[in-house]
Amino acid sequence: MTPKWTVWLGGVLLAAVIAAALYFPALRRQVNKAKDLTEKTAEQARRELLPVAPVSTGDPMVKVKMFWGSRGQEGELLPVVVELPLSRDPALRAKQVLNTLLAGPVDAESRTLPPDAALLAFYILPDGTAIADFSDEIRTSIPSGIQSEQLAVESIVRTLEDNVPQVLRLKILIHGQEADTLAGHVDLTQLFRVNAKDAAGTQLDNPSPPGSSLPGPIRKAVDTVRRATKR
Amino acid sequence: MVLDPAHGGTDQGARGTEGISESDEVLQFATATKRALEAQGFQVILTREGNDNPSFDDRSARANAQRGAVFITMHIASTGLTGTARVYVEPDAPQANNITGLIPWDRAQAPFLSLSRKLGDLVQQELSKRFKGSPDTLQTAPVRQLRTTAAPAIAVEISSVAVKERAELDRMVPGVAESIARGLTDFRPTYVVPTIPVPGGSVQP
Repeated sequence: MTPKWTVWLGGVLLAAVIAAALYFPALRRQVNKAKDLTEKTAEQARRELLPVAPVSTGDPMVKVKMFWGSRGQEGELLPVVVELPLSRDPALRAKQVLNTLLAGPVDAESRTLPPDAALLAFYILPDGTAIADFSDEIRTSIPSGIQSEQLAVESIVRTLEDNVPQVLRLKILIHGQEADTLAGHVDLTQLFRVNAKDAAGTQLDNPSPPGSSLPGPIRKAVDTVRRATKR
Repeated sequence: MVLDPAHGGTDQGARGTEGISESDEVLQFATATKRALEAQGFQVILTREGNDNPSFDDRSARANAQRGAVFITMHIASTGLTGTARVYVEPDAPQANNITGLIPWDRAQAPFLSLSRKLGDLVQQELSKRFKGSPDTLQTAPVRQLRTTAAPAIAVEISSVAVKERAELDRMVPGVAESIARGLTDFRPTYVVPTIPVPGGSVQP
């Protein structure tokens, strides 16, 4: 005859198995939820660390052209008109339009810049040279290739050209550093001509391999960005 | 003739399905192109023959060390219409004023730009005949590899590593090799090494 305690033990074990079977799906849902929350929190923390272009409530709403990729025309940019509150200050205005460019169009396939890339800093020197410092993701998350990198740089340059006339030429830094290329193809050692007023032809006039001499004021500004990024 | 299979070593370039990596695939394209060019009587060297990754300057130096060289850097994109190919040359750039007759390394491509465009046009025409959807005309882009190359220099970019199966890229190999060989054969009679303007005369590089 089976001892009474074994029946009790069997009953308890059976109850435990049934309880576990009922609880397991709920537990799995909670784990997945916690995982999503952790990922979101990391992304939120990263974004909180990034400087946000200040938007004052007094900024007037302005229709601007953003240059994103054209779905119909392979390798081409298409101007899209959007309405934004834009500062009159050229550097703030440049940050606002570049952040909008980075945020991307409604149609994700028309993106020219990676969704996780961020603008870390933007300065305009008195001679019209601008310095844009992007986070590492602009290099690590962009699809590799001449066409995609060229499209990314062109979208930045043309958006600035159309909306911030004070910017005549542009130097692109990645995380405060001068880079040889964007992601292995397009040359970032040069200054990109942004505005036709820069008739002297700065593009490639002063190619500046990392570590070599840039024109004095630009070198000073690049060094300032580099020091600020290291801090 | 210097053929440059881009990337290599730890830099795999674009990566696609089926473990396709740009650095492996371009080596295959470059090797086939070398054979096609040699069949036309060209002397050809590759900037890399294995899975190493010479610097941009080392690759340019292979062409710059020789008189009358032509340089083609080969790439496979991760975007673009599958089964197409594009040719890129450097944008216009002012030549440096110099009194030495030497070409500044950082602007080595400048004196060769018109020759690069001529070569690029010929190769692009051949590519567009073979690969439907490819552009009819060459593109310009500031490709880092081209800037320091003192020779007619173009970049050929094939789309793309995002093919459904590797065989789709493999099928493009003979057509790309043949297009480059034909373009170069047409270019050869027009290739005269340009002179570098210096005060009081001009010199050849």
